[in-house]
Amino acid sequence: MLDFINQHILSIIIFAPLVGAAINWLIGRRLRSEAFIGTVACTAVGISTVFAFIAAFRPETGALRAEAPILEHLWTWIEVGTFRADFALAMDRLSGIYALFITGVGLLIHIFATGYMHGDGGFYRFFSYMNLFMFMMLVLVLGDNLLLMFVGWEGVGLCSYLLIGYYLDRDEARVAAKKAFVANRVGDWGVILGVMLIFFLTGSISFFDKPDLPSALRIIGEMPIEPFAWSALFAGGITSAAILLFIGATGKSAQIPLYVWLPDAMAGPTPVSALIHAATMVTAGVYMIVRCSPIYAHAPTAMFIVAVIGAVTALFAATIGLAQNDIKKVLAYSTISQIGYMMLACGVGAFVAAIFHVMTHAFFKALLFLGSGSVIHAMHHEQDMRRMGGLRKYMPITFATMITGWLAICGIPIFAGFFSKDEILWKTWSTEAFAIPHGASRALWTIGAITALLTAVYMTRLMVMTFWGEERFREAHAHDAEAKPHAAVHASAGSHAHGEHAGAHHHHGPVTPHESPPVMTIPLVVLAVLSTFGGLVGVPYALSGGAIPNYFEKTLEPIVAHAPTHEEAANIEKRIAQTVARRGAEAPAAQPAAHETKHETAEHAAHSPEEVRSERIFSAISVIVALVGIGIGWSVFSKRPLLQMPRLLENKYYVDEIYDATIVRPIVRGATEGLWKLFDLGVIDGTLHAIASGVSSIGSLARRLQPGFVRTYAAIMLVGALILIGYFAYYGVLLLIRQ
Amino acid sequence: MLQQNLISVLILLPFIGALATAAHGFAPYRKPTHYRWIALGFSLATFALSLFLIRGGEPSVLSGFFFEENRAWIESISARYHVGVDGISLWLVILTTLLVPISVLASWNIEKRPLAFFMFMLLLESAMIGVFVSLDLLVFYLFFEASLVPMFFLIGVWGSGERRIYAAIKFFLYTAVGSLLMLVGIIALYYFFGTFDYPSILDAMRAGTVTLSARAEFWLFLAFALAFAIKVPVFPLHTWLPDAHTEAPTAGSVILAGILLKMGTYGLLRYNLTLFPDAAREFAPMMVTLAVIGIIYGALVAMVQPDVKRLVAYSSVSHMGFVILGLFSFTEQGMQGALYQMLNHGVSTGALFLIVGMIYERRHTRLIAEFGGLAHPMPWFSTFFVIASLSSIGLPALNGFVGEFLVLLGTWLSDSIRHPWIATMLAATGVIFAAVYLLWMLQRVVFGPVTNEENAHLQDLNGREKGLLVPLLALMLIMGVYPKFFLSRSRDSVLEVRERVMTATGGGSLAASPTQGGDRSEMVR
Repeated sequence: MLDFINQHILSIIIFAPLVGAAINWLIGRRLRSEAFIGTVACTAVGISTVFAFIAAFRPETGALRAEAPILEHLWTWIEVGTFRADFALAMDRLSGIYALFITGVGLLIHIFATGYMHGDGGFYRFFSYMNLFMFMMLVLVLGDNLLLMFVGWEGVGLCSYLLIGYYLDRDEARVAAKKAFVANRVGDWGVILGVMLIFFLTGSISFFDKPDLPSALRIIGEMPIEPFAWSALFAGGITSAAILLFIGATGKSAQIPLYVWLPDAMAGPTPVSALIHAATMVTAGVYMIVRCSPIYAHAPTAMFIVAVIGAVTALFAATIGLAQNDIKKVLAYSTISQIGYMMLACGVGAFVAAIFHVMTHAFFKALLFLGSGSVIHAMHHEQDMRRMGGLRKYMPITFATMITGWLAICGIPIFAGFFSKDEILWKTWSTEAFAIPHGASRALWTIGAITALLTAVYMTRLMVMTFWGEERFREAHAHDAEAKPHAAVHASAGSHAHGEHAGAHHHHGPVTPHESPPVMTIPLVVLAVLSTFGGLVGVPYALSGGAIPNYFEKTLEPIVAHAPTHEEAANIEKRIAQTVARRGAEAPAAQPAAHETKHETAEHAAHSPEEVRSERIFSAISVIVALVGIGIGWSVFSKRPLLQMPRLLENKYYVDEIYDATIVRPIVRGATEGLWKLFDLGVIDGTLHAIASGVSSIGSLARRLQPGFVRTYAAIMLVGALILIGYFAYYGVLLLIRQ
Repeated sequence: MLQQNLISVLILLPFIGALATAAHGFAPYRKPTHYRWIALGFSLATFALSLFLIRGGEPSVLSGFFFEENRAWIESISARYHVGVDGISLWLVILTTLLVPISVLASWNIEKRPLAFFMFMLLLESAMIGVFVSLDLLVFYLFFEASLVPMFFLIGVWGSGERRIYAAIKFFLYTAVGSLLMLVGIIALYYFFGTFDYPSILDAMRAGTVTLSARAEFWLFLAFALAFAIKVPVFPLHTWLPDAHTEAPTAGSVILAGILLKMGTYGLLRYNLTLFPDAAREFAPMMVTLAVIGIIYGALVAMVQPDVKRLVAYSSVSHMGFVILGLFSFTEQGMQGALYQMLNHGVSTGALFLIVGMIYERRHTRLIAEFGGLAHPMPWFSTFFVIASLSSIGLPALNGFVGEFLVLLGTWLSDSIRHPWIATMLAATGVIFAAVYLLWMLQRVVFGPVTNEENAHLQDLNGREKGLLVPLLALMLIMGVYPKFFLSRSRDSVLEVRERVMTATGGGSLAASPTQGGDRSEMVR
């Protein structure tokens, strides 16, 4: 038994939630007992969590301790020609960290949801989908090759689709669900082509070396670094593969230009937003990039693009977040912005920092979303912050925990977000990566710092509008009751979410908010603890002076690729030039590779006194920026919480409208009028009809047929066919007799 | 005994069933409900027997076919009754025998002339099985044509709309024109080789005893390809399909999409690629181009259809484009993927047509605008609809993904065209559009509030309806997670075709032919 568990530990981790989903779908739907459904769902995720911890930390072979990943081959999925994709699992340090926070945070959110979804008609459906999501997400990170990762990648997209559209009654939910899937599909187009290109380049899609299958990543790691040039994007080499994958990442991780689905995805229940659209799924793009870090390290052009897109998205989304009034929309844009940071980190080669931020972000953003869920729950599904205010009196636990999340995202020291965000900003400033020209690193840092300021402002605005100030919910509802038409308009515009409570809503008098039950507040408290102390696993040397080991960096650094520095790149180019010169006209072989210089620099360069000093200065700047942001937010919004923000921001720069007018509508119109009506019905069928009526008498009959004639015609045809068949059958019988 | 005559039994059993149905029409105690049981019994028996094919047997040393039967038939023209299966036809036969009982069950409550209906279904099954197992070109042609007649009547008599006569005749004329050309091609082959026997012709070509001139090969390829391209249908020869599908009864649509279309792609794979390999390579860029256009065009037009059934019909144009693309990539991945995609399309689109039929039975309309929020009154229906759509969209771990991925991968690795990645990238956009048109349809039909009173109290699926969908849904999952079971059995046969098309040089190279320019311009005209 123990042996079995040991050998199949990864299968247990992924399949437990799948079994939970199946039980709830088949049995839970009949029982309709919330206790049963909730227990099954939470137990399933709990099993995954326990085994994920065992797999990660068990002595000697634990994924986070050992050098080698835990591998588990289930079956060969697709094998055609030389192409092979296994259904096989692998947990190394990267996927181990991911699995830990996915299951851990996932479990907390499941527990929270049993309280939040209490009384909902689709309870079993909700938890089936949630468990299915956990399964898919774990397949995504534990899959040992690109194609199995893609199974999870699309699978989480499916669950996201189902859960965004969970409130079946709501019109905006179904629209948002489809929008999310389609935007992701556009990105998946890139992923699938990227996978093919990687197979084309390396003959493998495996992440790890296996007895009969080489690792695609290792093979690329041994190839020469591609030049930093726009032409590399279209050369069909490593850079092209990196960019194709990144297109997928912009879809799944909601970056420019495909981010538009995430804000709308808030139409789903709040635990979904916390789990899928904040903590886990949306960081899958970052996972993929870090997993494929050898590819990006060899594609400086792609890295540069990743960094720029990340930084610009961070700033862009933060400005929009500043002007939203729906509490979940603010958090959604905040998520986009924070993932922008992670992308920025990837782009400047700070892959470890990116994952660190993924983890801390999972803690504090899940906390913020659940906290907002608690608020929404208390407010009877009111999401508009203009109708909140003064809630700290009514919900002290929610308020206290939200405070930690707020301080964490703003980047106040000790709280988790501080260490990771500070790390990213510092790495951006100090990057030596070949992909980032020196001026660019300064510019990117500036964008990052401004974003940090804006983050502190909009988060303070959120806190102030929700928890401080006068209590606006009473008047708001009174107003609602008087002006029903206005409320109706508002509801259809989608700014507040009644969900399946829609009917009940209007029977309430003025709402008195109440603190949520323990099943909801306990996960909040746990997440608050994690948001406060979770960052201590990755305290940089400059800040701790070596007193606290940087466990996070130590764990991850060995398995991510090292992005070549300017110096190394120059050396490599020189060497290539020499090789070429030596060999005459021969093409440069795949030998001058980045891996030769890989691990040397990181160890040596770190911790020099000047660097420590400047890193400390930059940390101080970060803190000041955060404090200034909070100060601005406080002074502006505590006086005027309903301050009208710029329309351009409130309307999200009209990006949805622009996409609609320039992409969606032209395609639909062109397909309707041009392809279908004009070409299909007009040209092709028109030609046929013309031939038919002009030349052949049968053809003209096709146009104006008399029923009587058809019967005759059909009869003639049948007789003809029978004669033909009979003729040949006759010969056959004749032949049989003769034999 | 059964081992030796299994294929003949498979062809004859539905035929006997048809005769039994007709005979039962004279029985004194007959009732209209009896015929469906006869049809179900015979088609299920055929299905059960067809499963023996999977176990395989000793492949014939001479031809590489299993369960081969080779008898003299019309000796004066040396036509033989020669049948057998290999890894390519095996799965298509089983797809046929699976979809027919499902279609019979789907037509359970048909009221108009049940005797004739079920008789035609069984006749059609015989003909379809015959098409896939024939190894003699004349026998193939007869079965190919014979499948046309029952389908013509299914559409024309049991069709649902005003335009059913128009659709039936359009279907008939389109395909008859194509197959007449093929008949000419077959007679020409007979003229060259003195036999209709496919393995013999192939042997003669391999041995080099008879060689076709490049010009003959060119025209023969075209004659065969046109017949098959109409059947597939390849853009721009597809306009019969939406009409035929929309007007056909549910069972007709399922059979039409599930099997009849595959006759086209099967014919291309079996005959065009092996008999005319040089011409096939010459034509590959054109076929790939048409396939890619078809994929995108079909998807875009499907997107804007107001009628659910028409939407699914146009989606077939898109999906079958993937099959053509894979076939003409001439790579193992592409061709295996194409074969797999044929099966996928049969299963997924078959299920979609069944589902559309179920809602049509309840509401007597298929207009998307009439629906909305069906998830409320019909949760089972909606669940099945969503799963079938996801399979059609190509969600990984369901069947469609495996086929599409292999086709795209094979295209990327292909040598048959220049810059294959351009074709791959364009074709892959079809995957995006598939999500758009199907999810948009789901959004308007299944999700959201119930806007139309008539939909508020619709009956959810009954046991029969669930029962006929469940096997297809199970197949979607099995084919998605364990494709090896299917691919490993088709591998050798596909590789053989590939080797033939990649290495064979028939007569002179077409490029060297002085008439090539003239041929091309005529073709374009």
